[in-house]
Amino acid sequence: MKLSITILLTTLAACTGTARAKLNVVTTLADYAAIAREIGGDHVEITSMAKPTEDPHFVDARPSFVVKLRAADILIEGGAELEVGWLPPLLQTARNSKLETGAVGRVQASEGIRLLDVPATLSRAAGDVHASGNPHFMIDPIIAKAVAAHIARAFATADPANAASYVTNEKKFESTIDAKLQEWGKALLPFRGQHLAAYHDDWLYFARRFGFEVDVFLEPKPGVPPSPKHLAEVIGQIKSVHIKAILVEPFHNRKIAEKVASSTGAHVVDGAQYPEALPNTATYVQLIDVLVARLTTALKN
Amino acid sequence: MSISKTISAFLTIVLISSRLDAAEPALVPASNEAIQQQLLEMQKGIQDMQSRHQAEIDALKKQLADQQTVIDSLKQNPPGSPVPPVPTEGKPSPGDPPPAFPTTDPTLVPDSVGVLPTNNPPASGSTTPGNLFPTTDPSVVTNGPVAGLLPGLSTSSGPPGVGGAKGSYLNMSFDAVFAGAASTDPNLGSLEVGDHDPQQRGFNARNIELALDGAVDPYFEGFANIVFKLDNNNETSVEVEKAFGQTTSLPYGLQAKGGQFFSPFGRLNPTHPHTWDFVDAPLVNGLMLGPDGLRGVGAQIAWVIPAPFYAQALLAVQNGQGGTAYSFRNPGEDGTFYGRQTIDRQTDGLSDMAITPRLEASFDLSPTQTILGGVSAAFGPNDTGENCRTQIYGVDLFYKWKPANAEGGWPFVKWQSEAMFRRYEAGHGLDESFPVAETFHDWGAYSQVVWGFHKGWAAGLRGDYMHMEPSDITDDPQRQSRYRLSTDLTWYPSEFSKLRLQYNHDMLESTDFEPSRDEDSVFLMYEFSLGAHGAHKY
Repeated sequence: MKLSITILLTTLAACTGTARAKLNVVTTLADYAAIAREIGGDHVEITSMAKPTEDPHFVDARPSFVVKLRAADILIEGGAELEVGWLPPLLQTARNSKLETGAVGRVQASEGIRLLDVPATLSRAAGDVHASGNPHFMIDPIIAKAVAAHIARAFATADPANAASYVTNEKKFESTIDAKLQEWGKALLPFRGQHLAAYHDDWLYFARRFGFEVDVFLEPKPGVPPSPKHLAEVIGQIKSVHIKAILVEPFHNRKIAEKVASSTGAHVVDGAQYPEALPNTATYVQLIDVLVARLTTALKN
Repeated sequence: MSISKTISAFLTIVLISSRLDAAEPALVPASNEAIQQQLLEMQKGIQDMQSRHQAEIDALKKQLADQQTVIDSLKQNPPGSPVPPVPTEGKPSPGDPPPAFPTTDPTLVPDSVGVLPTNNPPASGSTTPGNLFPTTDPSVVTNGPVAGLLPGLSTSSGPPGVGGAKGSYLNMSFDAVFAGAASTDPNLGSLEVGDHDPQQRGFNARNIELALDGAVDPYFEGFANIVFKLDNNNETSVEVEKAFGQTTSLPYGLQAKGGQFFSPFGRLNPTHPHTWDFVDAPLVNGLMLGPDGLRGVGAQIAWVIPAPFYAQALLAVQNGQGGTAYSFRNPGEDGTFYGRQTIDRQTDGLSDMAITPRLEASFDLSPTQTILGGVSAAFGPNDTGENCRTQIYGVDLFYKWKPANAEGGWPFVKWQSEAMFRRYEAGHGLDESFPVAETFHDWGAYSQVVWGFHKGWAAGLRGDYMHMEPSDITDDPQRQSRYRLSTDLTWYPSEFSKLRLQYNHDMLESTDFEPSRDEDSVFLMYEFSLGAHGAHKY
């Protein structure tokens, strides 16, 4: 008992100690965490709430997140209703005035980003659509740069002592992406204009950047599970436009994609939108590297 | 949209192919004839597209030129410089120079500029001259050609960005629950102890709810749930289930709340029926905290304890008066409770109120498993006699497993249990009219497991027990000890609707006044919700 109390006190002391030394950053999703890590380097302590393999729309509001949010200096969220099902009650319980809407510590990545697919008519008959537009924008490296700049600016404002370091790291991230864009662009050039299928409609920003048309979806409407009738139509479409790849994410039902693949000759490509969801994708650049490599392999066949 | 997509793709390809043709042969793998063949095909396609879209492109170019003129004129008259006199009557003739005061504002129509990304001059200097593929794209940000997110530039100066724009000052949602019921008991209300539970055979509409919330100002946020109920004669009754304001910016993890709200007792009591996993309330909740749940007008303070794990202490003080304070100052139906004619107890001080303290804590057992537990109590006087008081104590435990690659929240396993003990001093009633005073020691518990076995589907099993201390004087049928076994199957077509089929087996034990009996009931529930996306607490 005495021992456990000592451990508890030591942990408490350790927690308060690190909180003072480093900028305490909490992100809703793993992609923001990966970029925040590149910008913040050793000056920040980063926690991502959602697991990289998890459906970002349906994260459980675990009470342990309240503890993280309570101690946070900065919260990075996507906004645009992506986290609307789980973040508000956490913030209500955490009561951290640093993270209030409009505060320096509240970074809404979608702010200033022009979202695609903003529904002209808002109706849930269209499935799980987002009023502000499609929130899966981070998979476009050029948008990732804009968000990195946003994060760097927030870090620099919250921690002026290390502002120079944040700006330098952000420039480094930008030039890495610029160089990588040439590499990725070249690798995907032969397949430009091709059509792809996906389980869920969240690849449109990637498609726009690299010149694909992702326009066949296994889900009949966003968030609605595939029905046999819809899958029959999908199989027909895949055959008629000679689609070679079906993109699925770790939280999707891969068996359904496999069934479609086996009856069409297309390949299931295990993709992901979040770093660390696939092997060897600790950073954002590595994630795009792996996606480009997997797509190239699938499309070459 | 498809035209603009095609145009942007086209322009990208034009840019790339011209570069390829002109200066950079080293970038084309010499051996790869397939690629060259594809490029040729693409160029052919481009020519087709060119002829098809020439008209649109010309129109857009003209629009861009117009906007450039406006921008130039703005540059000549930057904001802050004296505004030249606005031309008086009359439109400028076609030959006139552009008007000094702008007559159009390109920033008001974000998409007309944004769809032509790649051949716009880069917004910042980050594209190096040798780059084949674009590294900037002004269309991805909402502030037009100037990338608004670069340090030092305000994002708020431009038009309201779509991404940054928020809905309204008030989130509103509407939730309706309907249940069809069949039962061996003609008086279903004697079995179903919750006020929102089905109360009659046939159809029931016991919980039609309007929920509102929003930020009041920088200091408070407000919540309200107004419930409409149809009784067995289809008469509508309205209840202000909750309406309270709470602070948002108190220091030290504190939060104060004031208004009409659910007492923070246990896990189920502070929640709404549409978040429950079964059609009806557990026996302990209905028979101890009351058919309406324990709630009332009052104030609450909550404190998130600074510990390395989640821990929160809550303390509520409420009037504890009326039917929503069932075990406290409750005048009872027709002025009697547990056989006693109730007294009309006034509020003289804090000791006449219902006081509810609670302590809760949570731990992550693993990245996929979490437990949340709590201890609660509720203290206050009751109306069955002078100086009669009630104490209720409760423990609750919630466990949830959800794998790291859950789709839409499935699969999952939830296990939820609550146990309560009540000490109830039943007095002599109004004017000492009841022959004896008794002290009841009642206890009960429920435990339920819900398994989300397939996306959109969940199966549940619940066991319920309620022990009422026997009495040979008090003949209230509510004081009959009982068991219940429930099982249900729920289908969620989406997160905004559900269909639930439930079977209950009730076993009521005999008392000095009531025979024992077994009853079976089946419910089919349908629920829909409209409006703001509800967020779910753990």
